[in-house]
Amino acid sequence: MAQIFHRGANNIAKASIAVAIVLAGVAGYAYTQIARSSYLTNQYLERQQPVQFSHKHHTGDDGIDCRYCHTSVETAASAGMPSTQTCMNCHSQIWSDSPYLEPVRASFRDNKPIEWERVHDLPEYAYFNHSIHIAKGVGCASCHGDIANMPSVYQENTLQMEWCLACHRDPAPNIRPKSEIYNTSWDKNEITPAQQTEVDAKIKTLRSKELLTSCSICHR
Amino acid sequence: MLKSKLRLQVKSKKEKVKNKARFFGFAFFLFTFAFTTACRYDMQDQPRYKVYKKSDFFADGRASRDLPSGTVPRGQLREDKALYTGKKENADPNVQVATTTDASGNTLIASFPNAIEEFPLPVTKELVDRGEERYKVFCIVCHGPVGNGDGMIVRRGFTKPPTFNDDRLRNAPVGHFYDVITNGQGRMNSYASMIPVADRWAIVSYIRALQISQNPSSVTALPMTNNNTNTAPKPAASPTTTPATQGGAR
Repeated sequence: MAQIFHRGANNIAKASIAVAIVLAGVAGYAYTQIARSSYLTNQYLERQQPVQFSHKHHTGDDGIDCRYCHTSVETAASAGMPSTQTCMNCHSQIWSDSPYLEPVRASFRDNKPIEWERVHDLPEYAYFNHSIHIAKGVGCASCHGDIANMPSVYQENTLQMEWCLACHRDPAPNIRPKSEIYNTSWDKNEITPAQQTEVDAKIKTLRSKELLTSCSICHR
Repeated sequence: MLKSKLRLQVKSKKEKVKNKARFFGFAFFLFTFAFTTACRYDMQDQPRYKVYKKSDFFADGRASRDLPSGTVPRGQLREDKALYTGKKENADPNVQVATTTDASGNTLIASFPNAIEEFPLPVTKELVDRGEERYKVFCIVCHGPVGNGDGMIVRRGFTKPPTFNDDRLRNAPVGHFYDVITNGQGRMNSYASMIPVADRWAIVSYIRALQISQNPSSVTALPMTNNNTNTAPKPAASPTTTPATQGGAR
């Protein structure tokens, strides 16, 4: 009876084991890279908003503090979105004829909120509170990037759990002096000795790494 | 013979019932399956309202609801009229105030019959510091760093507000500043939904500090008095006076 497989098939069989291992490795690596890619995390994705609002213009150029609009960032879980009346504080006079601002005026006239597109959308099984991060000295820019230089806001970070944990394991590098929390362009290397003392004291007040990385800190 | 026939009939009847049950069972499965797929939610998008979420239920589309009118949150009856309105106990709402008009077209109030003269809470360094911080968030954009009305928004074209550093506002009672922050004045909108009560008084105290800084010789002439008798809540931590942050309702 003739052999079904050629003698060389032995080598192919042996090689196929190695190839399978390599392929599994490549597939595993590809999976981790695709899962972290901006394609899946929406990182760097600029969204079309109903109004062409520029954070760079309002915060960077005009110097309006973050808290002028995001009033509850120090006191509540949500940073707070400004009501249309807040827009009209200035735009009742400035650019009051601009067609770009028609959605704002329509919102004010009809008493209907502007429907902004959410840029930073955490999954709802994750608990996040802005106020505690501000109180502990984490600046806006640590998560949101240099908003004051973003004409249209995009998601600076992946917002994945590994990214949250990286800071919860070692928060010290992201603690700022109180005066620089809302300065999104602050350079850490420009820290003054007095500020360094303040930051060092603040770091001592932080909870332990074990507590900060326990499940129920974020999943409650 | 008859018996066996009967038995057969019974058997086929049993079979029929079984088939019927099977059919209905399958139909029920399909029916429920159709509904489970229609109601599927992922854990990351749960069927509950979060702040600023859109609602399909309420006519205006907002999940964050306003308080029903007339309700008073526990502990927020606001009985202390001086603290919450900056006005005297016997204030007359129909009183005529003297007004003038400045070069920018602002209507300036020159008499303040209803406003309280004294701070309704202790003026401490913490209060003034808090006021400085809040002033630089909310007021500096128009009123400028020292209150001369030369803020960035004014440079962008907004009407120049009156300066804090003239005799009219130096002699104005503190209740007037509080009233303007709370209810707005002229082209300035109300800031009541953005600044809690205690922070408004902190800002007023900082405005007084600015007025002193721009006119040091008249320190004693300023109506900066404080009898320290009022036991008002401390300013920095006063979440009870921030309805704007509760559930995002405005």
